[in-house]
Amino acid sequence: MDTIELTLPFKAEYVSTARLVASSLANRVGFDIEVIEDIKASISEVCSKIVNIGSKVADAYKIIFIVSGKEIKITFCCEDTSLKCIFDAENDRLAIDIINALMDNVELCTSSNYILSMSKILEESI
Amino acid sequence: MSGDLKMIEEVLSDSVKITLNGEIDIYTSNELKEKLYNIVDTNKKDLIIDCKELDYIDSTGLGIFVGALKKAKQYEKKVVIINLKDNIKKLFTITGLDKVFQIG
Repeated sequence: MDTIELTLPFKAEYVSTARLVASSLANRVGFDIEVIEDIKASISEVCSKIVNIGSKVADAYKIIFIVSGKEIKITFCCEDTSLKCIFDAENDRLAIDIINALMDNVELCTSSNYILSMSKILEESI
Repeated sequence: MSGDLKMIEEVLSDSVKITLNGEIDIYTSNELKEKLYNIVDTNKKDLIIDCKELDYIDSTGLGIFVGALKKAKQYEKKVVIINLKDNIKKLFTITGLDKVFQIG
């Protein structure tokens, strides 16, 4: 199990960087192209929302990828503890629908010391 | 920095076609919004969005498509989306927007 951390400023131009890193790591786990696109889309939705909200106390947020043989777990963190439950059920319906449909074990709201988490599990080929 | 989205506008006899090339995300969405809304308001014709070379779109971009559709409807015009790649078509299906737009 490996842990890879990516720290990004609250700037829109670096959301594509998160997609690129996610793509590379998901490819390493062995996901096919279609699933890699799903992971990229989900991560991008979260990054965009975090950047939109921004922070008055933190300069950056962190994406932690935990990569194992059959799974990639992605956790979003920030020292700004006000960043919690960042998605609004009404205004962010499209983003929520996309993330919930494409990822496994989605935790959009948490009382833990991170913003949210999601994972994708590699399906065994039959 | 010009971003990772290119837009080519082509005015046809009864419609305007915009061909999108690249990625639509939080960074490029403002540019897209300005362009699409301007095309609809200026031409008052049906809008064809060609996504043949569009690699990625997020919910912000989908929301802009919806906004363009609402504007077009004000002029009793329609928005047609063509040549969607599979990964993007999937997002339209998940969000139910495949039933909102005419997709060719």
